[in-house]
Amino acid sequence: MDMSLSSSLLNSKPFFSRPLANNSRRPPAFISITSCKATSMGSEKETTNFYKVLSLSPHNACDEEIKRAYRTMALRYHPDVCHPSMKEESTRKFVQLHAAYKTLSDPVAREEYDFQLGLNSSGRKSKMSFGDEGGMRNRWQDQIFELKRKSNRRKAQKDGSWGSRMRSQNRQKN
Amino acid sequence: MAEPAYTVTSDSETNGEEKSSSAFPETAIGIDIGTSQCSIAVWNGSQVELLKNTRNQKIMRSYVTFKDETPSGGVSNQLSHEHEIFSGAAIFNMKRLIGRVDTDPVVHASKSLPFLVQTLDIGVRPFIAALVNNVWRSTTPEEVLAIFLVELRAMAEVRLKRPIRNVVLTLPVSFSRFQLTRIERCCAMAGLHVLRLMPEPTAVALLYAQQQQQTVHENMGSGSEQIALIFNMGAGYCDVAVTATAGGVSQIKSLSGSAIGGEDILQNMMRHLLPNSESLFLKHGISEIKSMALLRVAAQDAIHKLSSQPSVQVDVDLGNGSKICKVVDREEFEEVNQKVFEKCESLIIQCMQDAKVEAEDLSDVILVGGCSYIPKIRNLVMGICKTQDISMGMNPLEAAVCGAALEGAVASGISDPFGNLDLLTIQATPMSIGIQADGKTFVPIIQRNTTIPARKELVFTTVHDNQTEALIVVYEGDEKKLEENNLLGYFKIGIPPAPKGIPEINVCMDIDASNVLRVLAGVIMPGTPHPVTPLMEVRMPTIDDGHGWCAEALHRAYGSTRDLVTVQKKI
Repeated sequence: MDMSLSSSLLNSKPFFSRPLANNSRRPPAFISITSCKATSMGSEKETTNFYKVLSLSPHNACDEEIKRAYRTMALRYHPDVCHPSMKEESTRKFVQLHAAYKTLSDPVAREEYDFQLGLNSSGRKSKMSFGDEGGMRNRWQDQIFELKRKSNRRKAQKDGSWGSRMRSQNRQKN
Repeated sequence: MAEPAYTVTSDSETNGEEKSSSAFPETAIGIDIGTSQCSIAVWNGSQVELLKNTRNQKIMRSYVTFKDETPSGGVSNQLSHEHEIFSGAAIFNMKRLIGRVDTDPVVHASKSLPFLVQTLDIGVRPFIAALVNNVWRSTTPEEVLAIFLVELRAMAEVRLKRPIRNVVLTLPVSFSRFQLTRIERCCAMAGLHVLRLMPEPTAVALLYAQQQQQTVHENMGSGSEQIALIFNMGAGYCDVAVTATAGGVSQIKSLSGSAIGGEDILQNMMRHLLPNSESLFLKHGISEIKSMALLRVAAQDAIHKLSSQPSVQVDVDLGNGSKICKVVDREEFEEVNQKVFEKCESLIIQCMQDAKVEAEDLSDVILVGGCSYIPKIRNLVMGICKTQDISMGMNPLEAAVCGAALEGAVASGISDPFGNLDLLTIQATPMSIGIQADGKTFVPIIQRNTTIPARKELVFTTVHDNQTEALIVVYEGDEKKLEENNLLGYFKIGIPPAPKGIPEINVCMDIDASNVLRVLAGVIMPGTPHPVTPLMEVRMPTIDDGHGWCAEALHRAYGSTRDLVTVQKKI
């Protein structure tokens, strides 16, 4: 058991999130919520910016706008309303759309996601202005932030996710 | 037009891929096969229209009589009397029997029906038979349903003056994937192609979305979101859904359901009127069947009357000397059905919890299905949802079939110039799907109420050194105990020799928009980015009848030698 736990830390990058080369029928896969977290530092994120998926501006999109954008896009991309020949493509698009909606419509998940996006952009900025005092401070702040975030996550994982706590509560009730 | 190319559908695939060859899409019809009643509807170009049979009925009884050489169903058959259905010659309540094994309590409850239901309690298909000229002639629920569907199809073809192939069916939330394949098989036997199988309340949700859009006259996708609770209870099943709707789009947030319905209420009432009714009727003698029919009709009548009056006088002569003369009031009725009503309450509460909504969040509460006329049902729904206002904007008996017809039009690619078909139900999967791992534990990969289409994966690893195979056993359900969930199938995957805990076995589950489940598995060894062997892709469910046995047989044959454990998620 212990072995399996420690081995997991080496590399557990989900591979179904990437296109399966041996099966051309499969849609090029998307990044699901769970795998998105695991690969959040990867380069794939550039292409699946949730705000871009929903055609929204990251700065001022309110909850209502996010929901509206999701519905409007769902009416266009859900496999039920697309031609059957587009099934693979529309399924992939819709799943991505839903992942974006799910993250951005949840205030906590959205904040975290925004932070990840912000981290990337400020990271780029500081690289450009390397040596500049402001950049250094930014980087330092980013690092502190990142450390805090990691420890928070670890803490959160100790007593499980919100979902797992709810499930165990429900189980006790039953 | 060129001849369409013929393709072989996969063996496990009774529901083929949608055909895209036709230039003019055929509008799929919507069918609601209820446990006791059935209806059929179609989008006629401007609105949904229910089709009537030759006797001008929109709602038909679901049964098939085997009286003569050719069986005839409730669509065309002219009954001389209600009692004829209960003479033993007719099979009804097919929806409660289909895809169930003889250890299932629902099958056991069906043993006191007038036709013959035999069980051996070993986890195989029950034996059912109809009484024809004093002979019990065997049949299957699938066959009965297929005969009924053929009649429905013939009727629709006459009404619409065109061949019918594509259908959208509404089904209970609690149907297992195995039961869904049985329904698809019935449709295939009747020459019908299933475009969608919709949980009943989600069909109602689609109708609700359309009504909401027509009244508000909004732009596409706009308007503020309204949360609605849909409670649907018919003769066989009770379903609940919570949906968020705006701009014609209905997002299903949660679903719950159970095989509890009017049939249970009726049986409780019969037991109340005649305490030893069950043991009496198990004999299935000619005179017992006759008494049973009389009691059934009397109990049904009393229940209907109790919906509008506080008490009812039951006066029935069952023959063979026993007479029932009893006054039943509403209180008594509610007491004998207390368990049924409690179950309804728990389904609503669970559904609201899963959707993370409170009673105050609900803008609308919709009550449909035959049982929605029962005052106690209305009161309990109103109580939990803290509302006095139950939406009766739709016909409780027609809402599901109308929703199915709308889905049929939308999924067939029909568009409406007035935007009446700019509709969408975004479905969710009512049960978790996962595999056996960490000992005999059910590890869900797709959680219940996940929006579909969906694709989720989890990483597992081996429990033994040099374990060269892993057995992936797929279940569906939300029970704590592994064996209480529905087994969907199993397959092996080969693993290169390595110390335990080193190989990574990724198991991915994929559900597409037509609710087809595929399970994919692959093995990755540390240091290599690609799977070491070809991936496995398995369409589920793969198991056939006798599925109760398979899991036990697997365990006997392999023990824990091919087990898996979950890999803790990486930070």
